[in-house]
Amino acid sequence: MSTASAKAMAYDNKGILGTLGRDGLLQIILIANTILMLFPIVIMIFSGFKSNPEIFNNPFAIPDFTNLSNYISVWTQTNFIRYLFNSVFVTGVSILSILVLGTMAAYAIARYEFFGASFILLFFMAGLTLPLKLAIIPLFILFRDLGILNTHWALVAVYVAMGLPSTVFIMTGFIRTLPRELEDAARMDGASELRIMWSVLLPLCRPALIISAIHNLVPIWNDFFFPLVFIQRDALKTLPQGLTAFMGEYTTNWGVMFAGLTLAAAPITVIYIILSRQFINGMTSGALK
Amino acid sequence: MQKTIIRSVAALAAASVALPSFAQEISFWSWRQEDRAQYQAIIDAFQEQNPGITVNFEAFEAANYNTILSTALAGDSGPDVMMVRAHGAFETVAGGGYLMALNDENVPGLMDLPEPALAAQTLRADGQIYAVPFASQTMLVIYNKDIFDDLGLEEPQTWDDLLAVSEAIQGAGLYAFANGTAEAWQNETIVSALGSSIIGQDFYEDLMAGEADFTDERFVAALEALVEIKDYFPDGFVGLDYPSAQQIFASGMAGMFAGGSFEIANFRSQNPDLNLGVFPAPVANEGDQHLVGLFFDGGYAGNAQTEHPEAVATFLTYLASQEFGQVFANTLGNISPIPGVVFESALLQEISELNQNSIPYIMLVHFRYQEPSGSVLLQSEVQRMMAGESTPQAAAQAVTDGIATYYEPFQN
Amino acid sequence: MPRLRLTGRGLWITALIVPPLAVMVTFVAYPILSALAYAFYDWQGLQRGEFVGFKHFHTVLFTEPFASWTRNAFINNVIVFFSLMVIQNGFGFVLAYALWRELPGAAFHRVAVFLPVVLSTVIIGFLWKLFFHPIFGPVNQIFRGMGLDFLAQPWLGQSSTALGSLIFVNAWAWVGFPTLVFLAGMQRIPTELLDAARMETNSEWVLIRKIVWPLVAPSATVVFILLFIGSFNWFELPYIMVGLDGSPYGSTDVLGLYFYRTAFGNQSAGVQDFGRGSALAVLTFMFIAVVAAFWTIRLRKREIQI
Repeated sequence: MSTASAKAMAYDNKGILGTLGRDGLLQIILIANTILMLFPIVIMIFSGFKSNPEIFNNPFAIPDFTNLSNYISVWTQTNFIRYLFNSVFVTGVSILSILVLGTMAAYAIARYEFFGASFILLFFMAGLTLPLKLAIIPLFILFRDLGILNTHWALVAVYVAMGLPSTVFIMTGFIRTLPRELEDAARMDGASELRIMWSVLLPLCRPALIISAIHNLVPIWNDFFFPLVFIQRDALKTLPQGLTAFMGEYTTNWGVMFAGLTLAAAPITVIYIILSRQFINGMTSGALK
Repeated sequence: MQKTIIRSVAALAAASVALPSFAQEISFWSWRQEDRAQYQAIIDAFQEQNPGITVNFEAFEAANYNTILSTALAGDSGPDVMMVRAHGAFETVAGGGYLMALNDENVPGLMDLPEPALAAQTLRADGQIYAVPFASQTMLVIYNKDIFDDLGLEEPQTWDDLLAVSEAIQGAGLYAFANGTAEAWQNETIVSALGSSIIGQDFYEDLMAGEADFTDERFVAALEALVEIKDYFPDGFVGLDYPSAQQIFASGMAGMFAGGSFEIANFRSQNPDLNLGVFPAPVANEGDQHLVGLFFDGGYAGNAQTEHPEAVATFLTYLASQEFGQVFANTLGNISPIPGVVFESALLQEISELNQNSIPYIMLVHFRYQEPSGSVLLQSEVQRMMAGESTPQAAAQAVTDGIATYYEPFQN
Repeated sequence: MPRLRLTGRGLWITALIVPPLAVMVTFVAYPILSALAYAFYDWQGLQRGEFVGFKHFHTVLFTEPFASWTRNAFINNVIVFFSLMVIQNGFGFVLAYALWRELPGAAFHRVAVFLPVVLSTVIIGFLWKLFFHPIFGPVNQIFRGMGLDFLAQPWLGQSSTALGSLIFVNAWAWVGFPTLVFLAGMQRIPTELLDAARMETNSEWVLIRKIVWPLVAPSATVVFILLFIGSFNWFELPYIMVGLDGSPYGSTDVLGLYFYRTAFGNQSAGVQDFGRGSALAVLTFMFIAVVAAFWTIRLRKREIQI
């Protein structure tokens, strides 16, 4: 018997008490971790209701939640709503395009055997590991030549290119698991290929489409790098980018800064809490295969 | 009746056709996000005098402004009028051929501005002026007069005086200096604000003549002085960012701030009751000349590709006028180089007098044309030195070596 | 007739595959290949100058002070990667194991640990920048409150703590990701297999080593490679928290910041160099691609052996 397993035996010999102790320890780890995760966020929300002296003197005190002056400042003195709208627009258009294009490619690769199919899949897969950030200079010049610099379309183009590989990956895998019988039956009935895709396949793909959408939602919604380079006009800024402008303007008013951070975090946090299961499945889906 | 209607319709139609040729909308970009309101007031005054021209002001984050501007210009989405920086950073924009060349013809009055101010906005390659200079900035020490009065302190003349004053303020439970070094550029600031008199006019001339480099003992002495004074910076000053440092001074928690004349507007807006004074960098030995660091901040430039060249020229002419210079000095608290501007504020008046004895803010004015720029080197080396991880000699050596990679006088 | 159908089918497949492929070619393949080409030219702002061969590569790798900047940034990336590998993934595995036990409250803990993952790095960066403020920040206030004054440090201002603080924040924000990937892997382990293994040994440690880890390993591979790519692409967090210069004096400088600074210039440098920037981008990119490819192949092979 090796020393390692001897030690293990000794540990396990503690029996029920040992087991209880282990679960107790794990429970403590979990609780401590949850506190570590949530405490900063709680402080952020609390501080949004405080003035500078309150934050500096009693950073952890529960504030007067009826004091909305910081939030009113953010809401009225910045382009917050504009940024929010821009983010919704860019994210929405990008995800829609990713899903349409990704499903098209995945359907072709998964369902038809044609010359070069595996090569094309490999080409998409390569996109998973290519950090597009490093191609920012050529992209910049490309967009200038296309005349879409300083427009939302520059962002949409990059996001679609970034989102396609994982979506093709997820969708191809999913479509391959679907039985072909339904499609074959429709084909026998003389339905066109387009019709088969639209009315037979697409409804079946809904769960995978939702996973793909969420998988792309978070990185696109939160992206900061590409707007930093491509978007200069204040009216076109997305939420993370607008937030940096805002933080640069209110550098000394901590209450307003925390209120701004809270408001910026609110939309995605609320959606996440409502749809946490889908979010977790969607975001981890690229890593589970 | 019918005729009148037809006539009035025709008149309306004519008006609506004619209107666009009058209504010229020009965009105006700036990195002064904090001055939005003041600029808007200036623009309103301009528009009142020039009906038909609308100026749309847009401000960007200062740190990214150059990137934003040069990319926009290259992408043909640049503004009609824009703030550009001076000296080296100006050349990256002006060198691309994106800016309108300016002279006394399209901007009457331009040539009345002082020569060094215009030089800061001149492209070395073609000798053309591309921007109307808007402000000079002075590097010096700003102090809280009330704190000095309460403690019975006077403006320090020598370095020893400064140490004594610092000790007294710290003894009273306040921070002597509010400065922090967390942001790289603040390290270049303090060298000039506190060290200019020790560096001295002679060193500057020798440097320009190619007879001295930064390992010269006069420059090293200035760095040594910083190491001495850092004990009077706030605890954790190495992690203190610029806005917080300003806030500490503005809230009266500190007696002094080593910085630029550009700080004053910010201090005033944070705390209108603040009673401010300024003094130039203290001298090493009594009798030496007191000097401030001086540089030109930037200018207003026109886009060479603008659709409204007349409107742009009109606006630039306004920005070069004494009327503007006066408002600029009064509301934004900056030292306008425009001749004839009178400084309402006694403080600005004092600074403009101090400017008579100055040396340039060396790295910004002379060593920001090539990489590795003198500023980048000095900032990180001083930051390291202030953290106690390097010596003044080593810092000076590293700065010299870095610049020597492209600057011939340092190569032997 | 069959031939006609074949053409129709060919057309249909073409119609399906060409648009997405065109996007990938235009916005991924072409820019990346261009970056390679750009590195061989001199640039004046956004205008391409003459062909200069390997000059920019030589500059960033061998000419001082650029070479030591490159080396410093690269080493910091390596530190970030290994630290996160241990802290983020290691702690993630522990948390996943804890969650897998389905103790009371597990569902809540799962939602909590993943919450920062959905937040923007910009929000996280600013939040922690305020928290780490040397004088007013809650982190130092907590330490002072607990009488641990020696721990009240200017965390982001010292070369000894700045990078560590950034790594901590990254781990705080992202630990939920490996946790839930590992958890999903654990939940896929067939109960029969676990029951059978428990008959053999009652040591939980042996169980983790012999059963849990090998079965979770496939998803771990992907997590590791994503972390690798992410670590060498690090930009947003240091940009927000310590600025473009990698303050203090380069102790938090990483390739992403260095690349951006070189290509687009910064406030105090003012010189923008697309050529040298592209050379840095190409080197970084090749390093990531080669390591990631090599690693994927090796780890996949090992999994098959297990």
